[in-house]
Amino acid sequence: MPDRKKPPKTELITSIPFINPTGARLPNGLPIYFMEGGTEDFLKVEMVFFAGSYQQFQPLVAYATANLIRSGSRHKNREEIHELLDFYSAHLQLDAQKDITSVSMFVLNKHLEPALDLMAELIRDPLFPEEELLAFLKNQKQLHLINQKKVQHLARTCFNELVYGESHPYGYKLKVEDFDQVNRDQLLAFHHHWYRPENAFCIVSGKLPDHITQAMAHRFGDDSWLGQDKPVSPFYKMLSTGSRKVHLEVPGAVQSAVRIGKQLVNRTHPSFHKLKITNALFGGYFGSRLMQNIRQDKGFTYGIGSNLVSLLKSGYFFISTQVGTVVTHEAIKEIYKELVALRTVPASDDELETLKNYLSGSFLRSFDGPFAQSERLKELLVFGLDQRHYEDYLTTLKTIKAEEIMLTAADYLHEDSMMEVVAGGQG
Amino acid sequence: MVEFRKHTLSNGLKVIVHRDTTTPMAAVNILYDVGARDEDPDRTGFAHLFEHLMFEGSVNILRYDYHLQHAGGENNAFTTNDITNYYLTLPAQNLETAFWLESDRMLNLAFSEEKLATQKNVVVEEYRQSYLNQPYGDAWLMLRPLAYTEHPYRWATIGQCIDHIYHANLADVKSFFKRFYHPANAILTVAGHVDPDHVFKLAEKWFGEIDAGQGNIRDLPREPSQKEERRQVVERDVPQDQIFMAFHMCARTHPDFFATDLLSDILANGDSARLPAKLVHEQKLFSEVNAYLTGNIDPGLFVITGKPHSHVDARQAEEILWREALTMANEAIGVRELQKVKNKIEATQTFSESNVLAKAMNLSYHELLGDAAMINKQTDAYFSVDASHIKRVAADLFALRNVSVLHYVKKDQPGL
Repeated sequence: MPDRKKPPKTELITSIPFINPTGARLPNGLPIYFMEGGTEDFLKVEMVFFAGSYQQFQPLVAYATANLIRSGSRHKNREEIHELLDFYSAHLQLDAQKDITSVSMFVLNKHLEPALDLMAELIRDPLFPEEELLAFLKNQKQLHLINQKKVQHLARTCFNELVYGESHPYGYKLKVEDFDQVNRDQLLAFHHHWYRPENAFCIVSGKLPDHITQAMAHRFGDDSWLGQDKPVSPFYKMLSTGSRKVHLEVPGAVQSAVRIGKQLVNRTHPSFHKLKITNALFGGYFGSRLMQNIRQDKGFTYGIGSNLVSLLKSGYFFISTQVGTVVTHEAIKEIYKELVALRTVPASDDELETLKNYLSGSFLRSFDGPFAQSERLKELLVFGLDQRHYEDYLTTLKTIKAEEIMLTAADYLHEDSMMEVVAGGQG
Repeated sequence: MVEFRKHTLSNGLKVIVHRDTTTPMAAVNILYDVGARDEDPDRTGFAHLFEHLMFEGSVNILRYDYHLQHAGGENNAFTTNDITNYYLTLPAQNLETAFWLESDRMLNLAFSEEKLATQKNVVVEEYRQSYLNQPYGDAWLMLRPLAYTEHPYRWATIGQCIDHIYHANLADVKSFFKRFYHPANAILTVAGHVDPDHVFKLAEKWFGEIDAGQGNIRDLPREPSQKEERRQVVERDVPQDQIFMAFHMCARTHPDFFATDLLSDILANGDSARLPAKLVHEQKLFSEVNAYLTGNIDPGLFVITGKPHSHVDARQAEEILWREALTMANEAIGVRELQKVKNKIEATQTFSESNVLAKAMNLSYHELLGDAAMINKQTDAYFSVDASHIKRVAADLFALRNVSVLHYVKKDQPGL
């Protein structure tokens, strides 16, 4: 008979099995990193350009450029491109974010050669056919209109605008007219400026064939891909922030989306690791104070959480939930109570130990396998950091004390410094 | 190739182990052979509500999540019309914690009125968040009872209505546990950096003493074959119409299943598939189209759906989708077109085998279907389907007497 009252012994994670990437530069200077690992015969090729909505002069241009590289190239039309991608089951992901655009492809090793040929052609020689652009914008406009019916979406976009200001690319809220103002020349110019080896890095992860360096150099390494002159990022002034509250009334909504938070530092800041841990205690996992209070104790919501987002030139903190309209007011009161408690009520030894164990397990999970590790490496490269960043995190996690968490909360997450958006019913 | 070992305890619990030493983690999956299809028609949503209660403490362990987090683990669960599936991952050296936690909640739960009341509220909020407060979110609440008149697939896992959730009481919860949560009704799979012999020992130690429980004989009403077309129109505050066409298809273990799945891939898997290529990109009649299977064990639904642009009305949109569906039965399927969808299957299968949690889930699921070893025969089963088989399936499926059509249309709003 096992003793069911007593938990089995657990061991803490002491180190992370980092895969050391091998790095190289292709002849044209493009930095490329290889991460070998995995059990199955496939790999991921990811090209990251420092070209996001921050670099665009017209809303939607970065997003449209990324999405339309597969809609026509110098040698192939949209139909041919998609047929080849599907035939070689090359899973192409195009992701235009605020600061970067990532083009990545998962592919079985046996289809690598033709898939790489295609990837290179899409990245280097897109045509952005006018007709494809118009169709794309029309469909995106429909999705935009559907999103306007979602309280969660309304709260998110309004919150970003409050935090960064309507004219800053981090805060800009898309308008329905924006979908009529993008043209092909803007995409060509954006691509011409930013999709260049001197503005990029590349990570290849998974089961790597012997000739992978040559295979990459052959398609992405030549000088003719270099730009004429180095492009300069536009500069935007960020809105200075104060605390503000906004209520967006949505008739007929049975739930309200709540978003509370503020502008904050990004992962290059010395306090970032402490903030990350403080945030986890507050709302970063199922055992967090927010989740335990507002879902598990009160039953106000299906889920609630908080997070830290790192952007290249800034960062922000936010709490997000959807709650029944009748309990919206009460739920918000509880959120502020927890913010106060975060800087006044120390975590008990038990609460802190559980948090630390959970976070170290979750850290280990985030390094599980070559594809997860390539994501971690990408984070470092985007912010100009190295592996010490993650080692420092583990050290902070091991040594942090309850008082430091309270001090961090008092310094950065004071309840009076928050922006608040509620989209939904008044209740 | 996913290698595994299998062992059944004397109380009927099936245990499957897959070893993968390239990861420091272990994944543990417990599938209970109970889903929304096993519910009383007057108490729908119960299997899913019960899933929530499984995290609210067991007979010896008050806080499931707390102890798992303490061991560096993470977990979740989902309920479908067929199964309730619980899964977790944790650093492999802490594997025994998972056995301690999972066996205790199979042994018995710490039921309480208070926890039931809270989780009812949480589920009602989930209902609102996912079904009521989303554009198009309630479509399946209407489509299911249109397509099914007898079989319990006629209600959604979340429940037919919010009232059913409010009416759940503690006596129902206890009898549900007794009936479905016992070793012979579960499949436990462990995948990751583990030693199979050690896993079998742990299984015996923690689960071996749990009573076998009564067997559960499933006797669900059969859905009578449909005789004529069924239609429904609803108006909602949405920016765009959406058409749903649901056709009755075969069961998961039927020989036609793989051909049916490939049929949906030819129609809609990937941008070069027929529906998106033609209707979205070439003719620009729709902004989105899709074709998919509901993925059930009993005979499920083959769904074709699309959101037409505003110059195409719902009636025309439906005709266009019909026309495309019928070409599958009447015109040739290209050799390369068929090879393409098979290549996609192969890739998807390979990608999923790079993840221990996905492997653990799939092993459990295939064991439920009859044999865990089927996990390694899926790709071959798809590759052996030929074009004539797909055409025959299409001809059977796409008939007026086999369809339920829902027009989910935009409410007229003058001035908007």
